[in-house]
Amino acid sequence: MPTDVPMDSEACTFTEFSDGDPSSEYPETGADATGIEAEVWKALYEVEDPEMPVSIVDLGLIYDVSVEGDRCVVEMTLTYTGCPARDILLNDVACAAETVAGISEATVTLRYSPEWNVAMVTDEGKDRLRDFGLSV
Amino acid sequence: MSGTPNSERIGRADLSAEQQVALEALLFRLADDEFVHAERLTEWQIYAPTLESDLAIANIAQDEFGHARLWYDLLKRLGYTEPECLWERDPTEWTHSLLVERPFGDGDWADAVLRGYLYDVAERIRLEAVADTSYAPLADRVGKVLEEENYHREHAVNWLERLTADDDGRGRVQDALDELFPYALSLFHPGPREEDIVEFGFRTEPVAEMRTQWLETVSPFLESLDLTVPEPDEVERPDERGRDGTHTDAWTELYDEFTATYHELEFETPATLRATEE
Repeated sequence: MPTDVPMDSEACTFTEFSDGDPSSEYPETGADATGIEAEVWKALYEVEDPEMPVSIVDLGLIYDVSVEGDRCVVEMTLTYTGCPARDILLNDVACAAETVAGISEATVTLRYSPEWNVAMVTDEGKDRLRDFGLSV
Repeated sequence: MSGTPNSERIGRADLSAEQQVALEALLFRLADDEFVHAERLTEWQIYAPTLESDLAIANIAQDEFGHARLWYDLLKRLGYTEPECLWERDPTEWTHSLLVERPFGDGDWADAVLRGYLYDVAERIRLEAVADTSYAPLADRVGKVLEEENYHREHAVNWLERLTADDDGRGRVQDALDELFPYALSLFHPGPREEDIVEFGFRTEPVAEMRTQWLETVSPFLESLDLTVPEPDEVERPDERGRDGTHTDAWTELYDEFTATYHELEFETPATLRATEE
């Protein structure tokens, strides 16, 4: 093909990012939680993504909180698998959960299904992301 | 072969000794491929032809490191430590394919693009073959990785279309194809535990079937770009196999390079701020 004629394609190739399917069960925000579990959700609400001033609960990263006695297990996900902030986040989440009166030990486990996508961000989270300059 | 329904999947505690050995073989193959591929791709950082391509390839490398971490994490849950998986593991125990360890020729961008394409198609086929795995912790992670791999394939396809749009570019891609193809076939070399891996349902397709799917995907696409795909049964195959721990010399050099810092740190003898007093 001669190079001096326009190629039979768009001038610039691009990647189309899709929003993904909204999940009926997610995001989990702890709205129905009671007692100490509700307190843990409240504490997790204070944890922000290290790269954006948005609560990780609003980002939809927390999948489950369960409390048994003085122990707490938090199940969460990451926006993408290579997330370099993984260890920071896991540590922040565990520390936040352990600030709750009645919790002496918090374990954080990672889950990758359902797969996180932008549809899992809460409306509040989307507003914060827009304020930050992202188009969502 | 059909996969395992979610409710019947097994967890770590259910594994027999024999199953665990097969599962570890599968996980090491997955993890090593991703890690070594990523390691090679990072060599392009600041050297890729445009700023966009530089950022894209760095991002792909980061994704692949992320995927490697997912699979090594599953090995850690089976009792391995990070040094045992990576920094102190004998280079002859690594089971990645020969494709991902090949060195890049100086500025050979066609190699980087084509290698990415050949690898990413194989990666999709392999992930689809473990999507219905019998091992629950593995099943949890596959969907997320498949989603991320789509972008890598799209990136490679876009670049291949551009590179083959004129004779010079197409010639370079053809050279890369002739060079890489025999090594790419090693992606589908069955490892020592192949039969057990399928028998226990960790993967639902045998590698032979995956190889056919791969050839049926890459050959028509590459031919549509006016490239000539070597005849798989006629190419001269390297003596090494990759999956059985035999590797080309390029691997030894790469291994020494990425483990050098770990050894220089001398974790066994911690550094002290002052010289030891008499």
